Amino acid sequence: METYPKNKRRHWLATGCFAAGFVLLSSFALASEGGADRSADLLDLLYRWINFTLLVIILVVVFKKVNIKQYFTARIEGIKKELEDLKKQREAAEGKARDLENKLKAFEGERKEILAQYRADGLAEKERILAEARDRAKQIVEQAEVSIQFEMQTAKEKLKEEVVALAAQRAEEIIAREMTEKDQDRLVNDFIEKLGKTH
Amino acid sequence: MTRSKVSKRYAKALLSLGMEDARYQEYGKELRAFADSYESYGELNQALTNPAFTLEDRKEILKALLTKSAASDTIRNFLNLLLDKSRISAVGEISSFYEQLTDEVSNVVRAEVVVPRPLAGDAESRLSRALEQMTRKKVRMNVRQDKSILGGVIVKIGDLVVDGSVKAQVQGIKESLKRGE
Repeated sequence: METYPKNKRRHWLATGCFAAGFVLLSSFALASEGGADRSADLLDLLYRWINFTLLVIILVVVFKKVNIKQYFTARIEGIKKELEDLKKQREAAEGKARDLENKLKAFEGERKEILAQYRADGLAEKERILAEARDRAKQIVEQAEVSIQFEMQTAKEKLKEEVVALAAQRAEEIIAREMTEKDQDRLVNDFIEKLGKTH
Repeated sequence: MTRSKVSKRYAKALLSLGMEDARYQEYGKELRAFADSYESYGELNQALTNPAFTLEDRKEILKALLTKSAASDTIRNFLNLLLDKSRISAVGEISSFYEQLTDEVSNVVRAEVVVPRPLAGDAESRLSRALEQMTRKKVRMNVRQDKSILGGVIVKIGDLVVDGSVKAQVQGIKESLKRGE
């Protein structure tokens, strides 16, 4: 805290009293120019000055008693400290903001990486599913071809069987109709002849 | 013991009696005649096997039947034995086994011949000779008609089947065509 020397204070006090006296005397001089009708006003002014001076004296005494200088000095120090604290808080907040910004940037980068990874995984999965679907489709087609071949073969065989059965039935009908006793005798003779040759 | 085994034993016992007096062929014919009658007439069948009748009553019925027939004493006694032992219902099976045994003793085989129409001329005798030459046994043929074989002959001797029918030939062609030959 800054302190003034005693002679300097006295100088200030004398200057103040002089100024007050000058103002007071000047007022009297100005009042005497107006005559008797203005004496009442001068008296009123005198009272006001006295009142004012007393007020100044009281204020000086009171301020001295409460050590106003020290109060304001402490107040200034407090404000300075608060300013410093606020500065520190601001710096800390700025630091946090920078950290958050950095984190945000890092997160953004990470987000992009994750998205890229997901895209890559998605593409790989898509390729895998497509390949699997292609294989499955190929298998289905192959199985269908085998089934078709099998069904066609079965149908052919069935048709062949039906045609052969029908032909055999027709042949039997014709033979039964056309077979004569002579034919039967010839068949019996052939049978007997073959039996004779078997032993 | 199964019924077949029992029937075989009875048949063998009767054959041994027939071999002793050399009348086994005659016994076979008599037994076959009775078995055919027994199997043909359901009332006779019932009368001899129904337990509602006493054994004595059933014996009387059998006696009455045999009195009218020309069956030998051996066959009469044999049939009475079957009635006593409650085996009269197996008389048909016993007769069949007896015939098989007598055939073996006589070196005879039975041949079932299937034809679509009667054999003409001497075909039957020639066929019999051919079968005898083939089996080296006497052959007793039982000729049966079956038009479904279309033509030719089928001969069955025991488990042996010689199929010379037209139907078999058609079936053979049919199978060949199916196989794509």
